[in-house]
Amino acid sequence: MNLSRFTLILTTFFGLSCFAQNKIEFTEYDLENGLHVILHEDHTTPIVTVSVMYHVGSKNENPDRTGFAHFFEHLLFEGSENIPRGKFSEYVENAGGVLNANTSNDRTFYFENLPSNMLETGLWLESERMLHAKVDIKGVETQREVVKEEKRQRIDNQPYGSIVTEIMKRAYTVHPYRWPVIGSMEHLNAAQEEDYIDFYKKYYVPNNAILSIAGDLDIEKTKALIEAYFGPIPRGTGDIPTVEDAEPPLTQEIRDTVYDNIQLPAVVQAYRIPPNGTDDYYAVSMLAQLMSQGESSRLQKKCVNETQSAMFVGAFPFGLEHSGVTLSFGICTNDTDPKDLENEINEEFEKLQLELISDKEFEKLKNQIENDFVSSNSSIMGIAESLADYEMYLGDANLINTEIDRYLSVSKEDIQKVASKYFVKDNRVVLYYLPIEESENGE
Amino acid sequence: MMKNILTFALTGLLTVTISAQVQIDRTKAPTPGPAPKISIGKAEKFVLENGLKVIVVENHKIPKVSFQLTVDMDPVLEGNKVGYTDMAGELISAGTENMTKSQIDEEIDFIGASIQSYSNGMFASSLKKHQEKLLALMSDILLNPAFPQDELDKKKKQAISGIKSAKSNPNVIISRVGNVLRNGKEHPYGQLQTKAHVEAITIDDCKSFYKNYFRPNISYLVIVGDITAAEAKPLVENYFGKWEKGDVPQNEYEQPSADWNTRVAFVNKPGAVQSVINVTYPIDLKPGDQDELTAKVANAILGGGVFSGRLMQNLREDKAFTYGARSSIRSRKLVGSFNASASVRNEVTDSAITEFMYELNRMSSEKVTPEELSLVKNNMNGTFALSLENAQTIARFALNTERYNLPADYYETYLEKLAAITVEDIERVAKKYIRPENAIVLVVGNKEECAEKLTKFASNGKVEYYDYEANPIVLKPKVELPAGLTAEKVHEDYLFAITGESSMKNVQKKYKKFKSLTTVASASVEQMGQTFTIQMTSKAKSPNMSSIEIKVAEMGMVVEKAVYNNGKGISTNMQTGKKNLEGKDLAKQKEQSMLDKELKWKELGYAMDLISIEEINGKNAYKVQMTSKDGEVRNVYYDTESNLKVYASSKETGADGTENQVSQEFSDYKEVNGMKFPHKIAMVNGEQEMEFVVTKIEVNGKINAAEFKLD
Repeated sequence: MNLSRFTLILTTFFGLSCFAQNKIEFTEYDLENGLHVILHEDHTTPIVTVSVMYHVGSKNENPDRTGFAHFFEHLLFEGSENIPRGKFSEYVENAGGVLNANTSNDRTFYFENLPSNMLETGLWLESERMLHAKVDIKGVETQREVVKEEKRQRIDNQPYGSIVTEIMKRAYTVHPYRWPVIGSMEHLNAAQEEDYIDFYKKYYVPNNAILSIAGDLDIEKTKALIEAYFGPIPRGTGDIPTVEDAEPPLTQEIRDTVYDNIQLPAVVQAYRIPPNGTDDYYAVSMLAQLMSQGESSRLQKKCVNETQSAMFVGAFPFGLEHSGVTLSFGICTNDTDPKDLENEINEEFEKLQLELISDKEFEKLKNQIENDFVSSNSSIMGIAESLADYEMYLGDANLINTEIDRYLSVSKEDIQKVASKYFVKDNRVVLYYLPIEESENGE
Repeated sequence: MMKNILTFALTGLLTVTISAQVQIDRTKAPTPGPAPKISIGKAEKFVLENGLKVIVVENHKIPKVSFQLTVDMDPVLEGNKVGYTDMAGELISAGTENMTKSQIDEEIDFIGASIQSYSNGMFASSLKKHQEKLLALMSDILLNPAFPQDELDKKKKQAISGIKSAKSNPNVIISRVGNVLRNGKEHPYGQLQTKAHVEAITIDDCKSFYKNYFRPNISYLVIVGDITAAEAKPLVENYFGKWEKGDVPQNEYEQPSADWNTRVAFVNKPGAVQSVINVTYPIDLKPGDQDELTAKVANAILGGGVFSGRLMQNLREDKAFTYGARSSIRSRKLVGSFNASASVRNEVTDSAITEFMYELNRMSSEKVTPEELSLVKNNMNGTFALSLENAQTIARFALNTERYNLPADYYETYLEKLAAITVEDIERVAKKYIRPENAIVLVVGNKEECAEKLTKFASNGKVEYYDYEANPIVLKPKVELPAGLTAEKVHEDYLFAITGESSMKNVQKKYKKFKSLTTVASASVEQMGQTFTIQMTSKAKSPNMSSIEIKVAEMGMVVEKAVYNNGKGISTNMQTGKKNLEGKDLAKQKEQSMLDKELKWKELGYAMDLISIEEINGKNAYKVQMTSKDGEVRNVYYDTESNLKVYASSKETGADGTENQVSQEFSDYKEVNGMKFPHKIAMVNGEQEMEFVVTKIEVNGKINAAEFKLD
């Protein structure tokens, strides 16, 4: 039975025209104060997601106040003029909802998932956060300690937890991507009252935010409620400083060793890549997928299944607003020399520069992209976030429906081209993670 | 009341018309509209002739389908081959009689699908348009697995690496050790895999497991997605109808119970910056138990899903001990478990446990407030609704109803049952399942910094120590400090030992003659396959000049240099450049120029306290705590027999605010000009480790004053 041949014929026959897609309808507009609003209506389940994305992340921080954007995310759950300390989460939980937030290099995202009759509560909470958040000394001190514990738990006490930090500080010399989102604890300690006020006034303003709501809602009623809760919030008075994408290219390979509390060595490579949304980025992203998505992907097949030099291996593009990196990461199996694993990984990248990928592999990539694209819109929470992401980074929320075309217009030659352009020795940082000591405890 | 809300759903919302000028009062929370009607999607069921039970849940929102097979076997005790059932499960999809593993992988990836097999089933999903192809693959994998030897060898190699890497992850360690302590290694839930177990697994073990247990008559196939039952039936018959039924072994086990009083168990993870704490014990709670829902509500009040849970509010929002503190009550087929856990910084480990125990005791001895109960009920009501967005939830409900013989309306009436729970119900259930008096307080962390303070939580006053594989470790009995011994005496004995004198007067005489000292030490460091030699040269000239220089010998490159000369100092660093030494840094370099600093600790403002006798490399040593006038603490260890200084450790805060444990181990003492000096110093600074070997020590040699010029 030659299944693969059969499928190939079928796929070629149907071509690209039958890609499965359910179009996401949405409405978008600006309030007078500059707040961009996106609404998506879906009555399948009686729930709603209310989210606000602020265009501020760690790259907007002062070099002597790193970690501030993420710290702010913690502080903005403390309360507001009308919400006493500790009640923010209680309101949401009492409403039967869940809430959370996260901060990246480029933006900060807050959301509530609520039963749909609680939509107004979500609007109230988010508008309070934008209009007049309030943080007292106890709140600042508590959250500072909480962030320190978060850092210990996620980075210091986690095997390989410092990889991103160690990579980024070597991959960038000028651009604020060089420091980690969690930032410096000393900087947080040093922060003064005016730092908080400045940051809030500068970035937490309607003209720097997107309100994205999805779920069981009525568009007109929701618009009226949004006007009532967010309309009176004043537009920010100052300019919102922009950060330049001005990092000079790497000119030669940077190599280093990090000793960590780990048992198995790891090889980490970071190749500098162009920003999210550029033509080359889509080709880079498909290249990474070819390398590591699925058991038949090249790195997986080679290093995990054939030579068995890796426990785990993968390549992941960090699609950032400015020039980012693709991280390739492999954990050695017991007794494998990291040098050997690195050579295998390098060979696979070099192969892409020398040979075009096969038609069959190319079809596979497209099929995987279609599957991922369809799956990504399976929850209203995911839809609300994607709409805001596309609007914020690429200025077009409708990419939620059309971004797949950008992937599908990438050719095999484009993949070869970006392999030669970006996945080369002089454009990478290589780190070996080695165990601090060979502990034999419990073997 | 809940019934009314359900019945009159939506009507309220529909009658309210909101005009363009909505009036709001932002000083208080908006009044919510009536709760929306919650309806659980339908699940259709049918059974094949071979006994395979099929459940279909339709969801046409996106064009995808999934097929989940659950083989409902009794858990298997794997003896000295722990993990072989997992391996057998994974191997099912690693090659069939018709296809190699790599062919299967190609086929699955080609259609952007995924198929995983595991010890009690399989999961497959793809776009709707590829469903026939997916089923053909799934059926071939399930019915004709080949169990290739080379794939088993690969899995074994990976498992061994996995065991090794698990040792660096405190969360994995705590979960493995917790399973053993709760259930015992002779219970299926307490089995812990070792390297020897992996090595003993054979391909026949895997084959016979598959043959004995993978049978349709104990299995469920749950189909979810863009498909109808009518469409599914012929497909399932076609692809799974030929699967042969058979008699399946039934396994019964004695149920573990918490027949102990509060215990403290500690797993040492040297260098850890946080303690992972888990307060845990087995509970008699199985899926479908009539207490199950009430117990989950009680747990939510304590530390379940909500952020407002007592543990989170107390340990995070009030005390700032942790990023998160949570608890869970889990029901399982053979025995359930209670867990309350958090990762906390080392120095608050005991305080955090005090709060855990306080909150557990409060749950089991006091009524919760009606407000707390109502918050959790509201929340669970809402999250139940949120969970229904995912069609897999509906499928899970249908599967659980079948597997655990739940009443047919168990999930339909879930919200009514939730609404009916009272404060008194919570009190009764909390007393039954929240039992701090029978708990094991398990900690994975830095023994030196945390373990001793935990004895107070153990009913027998003892901390039990375990290795990473849950084997008890017997520590040598603690040696008590001799009565009357002081830190000062220990330090004096040390001075006698290095000078060879027997009175302080003579020691002082000897130090007076001590005018200059040059020490050269080197360490090799492996970097990218190359060996570099780090050379450290320190010079001191009494009473007020000193310098230290750190150099990479191969490159002739000075990485760092510091000089102190009569009240002033400078440091030159390759990266940060030149700067004046100030404050603590200046004081430290100044101390380096005092060759008799060991005699002058009092004048320098240090306080010394004799703390205990500890083991350093298998030998007993006095632990003396030295506190500087700025409150900085350094622990110094003196061998109880030789009286020599063998070890020192302190905590230092780096430029980026991270705390590091810095330590030095001194050994290979040799005499130079009548004084003993350690000739080997192993230094650890956080993640860095270097062993310095002293290549030259010169006492009272001539040092040119130009060496100490500040420019």
